[in-house]
Amino acid sequence: MKKINPQALARSTSFTIILIVIMTIWSELHSAFKGVLTDMSGHHWVSKGIISLVFFAIMYFLMHKKAVGHDAKQCEMGPVWMTVAGGLIIFIFYLWHYLAA
Amino acid sequence: MELILIGLHAGIGEIGALSFLWVFIELLSPNLQRVARAKVAAMIGVVALFTSWIIGGYYYVTFYGANVKPAIKAGPMPWAHLVMTETKEHVFLFLPFLAILILGLIHAHKEQLLKGERIKSILILSLLVFLISMAMAGMGYMISSGFRSAIT
Repeated sequence: MKKINPQALARSTSFTIILIVIMTIWSELHSAFKGVLTDMSGHHWVSKGIISLVFFAIMYFLMHKKAVGHDAKQCEMGPVWMTVAGGLIIFIFYLWHYLAA
Repeated sequence: MELILIGLHAGIGEIGALSFLWVFIELLSPNLQRVARAKVAAMIGVVALFTSWIIGGYYYVTFYGANVKPAIKAGPMPWAHLVMTETKEHVFLFLPFLAILILGLIHAHKEQLLKGERIKSILILSLLVFLISMAMAGMGYMISSGFRSAIT
């Protein structure tokens, strides 16, 4: 395995989680966007997965040559907070969507 | 066919979950052998979660949308789809990336881990992946309960 830049990996993960949350909510609120995602692969969820994978790879490729900074430790905790916040946002959004319907 | 896919998705997903619990336990008190085993466990976890994603995704796209989703929505527990399935299918997307991150961090911090440094984030992430995976299984139970209540 080649040398890994942990900071770039952590940031790529955080940004990918943010992207998943945005795509999830945006596609529920705007049917046109959901339609674009559906047209891409035949199913909006499959498109979200493919976009996330490609986005993650591009983010890491763009950031992996940057030197590891002094905030590396905090940076590695970023995905933890993004996961907790993102999971709660998605759950609360769908709960609200269901209760409001 | 559907039952086999559901079983494989859940079973392989649980292997992924337990792999990251294994990573967590190995790194509570790291030494050369434990860090090496944690890396193997994380590799198993990455492969398991990606495999579970593909199998679960195939089931979801091929069978769930056409047969299960309409029944749950018309049954007495529509929230099983409208809240649980929707949350599960999207939060699941976090897991493969978190799994890659954990494997990458173990690889990148191998030397520091042996000195007892840089462990905290890997421990928390491993436990988080384990707990989210367990929550996925719990939501899967609620979704199948929603379907059973709709067809009985």
